[in-house]
Amino acid sequence: MAVSQRESEAVFPGDREDQLVAGLAALAIAIHILEAAFPSPLPGVKPGLANVVTVVVYLRYGLRVAAWVALLRVLVGSLLIGTFLSPTFLLSATGAVAAIVILGVIGGIGRGAVGAVGLSVAAALAHMSGQIWVAYSLFIPHPALLSLAPILLTAALVFGSVSGLIAASVDSLLRGSEDPAHG
Amino acid sequence: MRILRAGDVLILLAGTALVGASYAAFWSPRAAGDRAIVSVGHDTVAHVSLLEDRKIPVDGLLGRSLLQIEDGRIRFTESPCPGRYCIHTGWISRTGQVAACLPNGVVVEVEGGAREFDAINL
Repeated sequence: MAVSQRESEAVFPGDREDQLVAGLAALAIAIHILEAAFPSPLPGVKPGLANVVTVVVYLRYGLRVAAWVALLRVLVGSLLIGTFLSPTFLLSATGAVAAIVILGVIGGIGRGAVGAVGLSVAAALAHMSGQIWVAYSLFIPHPALLSLAPILLTAALVFGSVSGLIAASVDSLLRGSEDPAHG
Repeated sequence: MRILRAGDVLILLAGTALVGASYAAFWSPRAAGDRAIVSVGHDTVAHVSLLEDRKIPVDGLLGRSLLQIEDGRIRFTESPCPGRYCIHTGWISRTGQVAACLPNGVVVEVEGGAREFDAINL
């Protein structure tokens, strides 16, 4: 694996990040699709475990790679599930963009002070708020949808915290496994 | 490496406050309105007070709709439309609530008091 990566790096310089993005996006897409298979108690509520990948990627590789991974996940995920260009896709894309923007903002402001949990909670709330806003302004401009907002945001808070804890432990596991190698 | 840092706690607290505020904002009881706007097509034909009980005939595209005001509420009681959705809407009294008869082009919207939303598109 390491050898083949170096070989291709020699042939196509600058391709390493593409491979990184592709691999991580594949992981996120797999989680995304697995999650789509589970029934949801409420439309719009799901654990969002694929966001664990986004947060960990952001912490380790920065905003650019995280944005690529998140947007590829939404695009390819929707193609595979069959929701491409449907309202679901638009909501998904809005959520992902909102989450990435807030990751950049919070991560930039709180560099060093904010860890995976804070990032994940902020991203989950941004994701949900963005979706509610688009759903309300484009699809269902009915006050009842806004009545649903507190419940959806509570779910986002809870699942964001859980995803954050998972992301934090994944990140520290990765750091632990790398540290000896990097001395 | 610690799982929770200072910034995380701050964001958790802010997030919880935000979610709490969303309950306050979206689940507070709607204000009762004291007036209603009656329109036919794009034209507003009447501003009526909901404080005095009466019946109001409105001439629409198909014919005459009858509105009834009682106890600060308003509803359609008669309509020439085929579906009678307007009548089945029943009483409306909260600011921003709408009863509409699309075939007849008659729309009633409650206003006054504190508006919960700037606009409601149906």
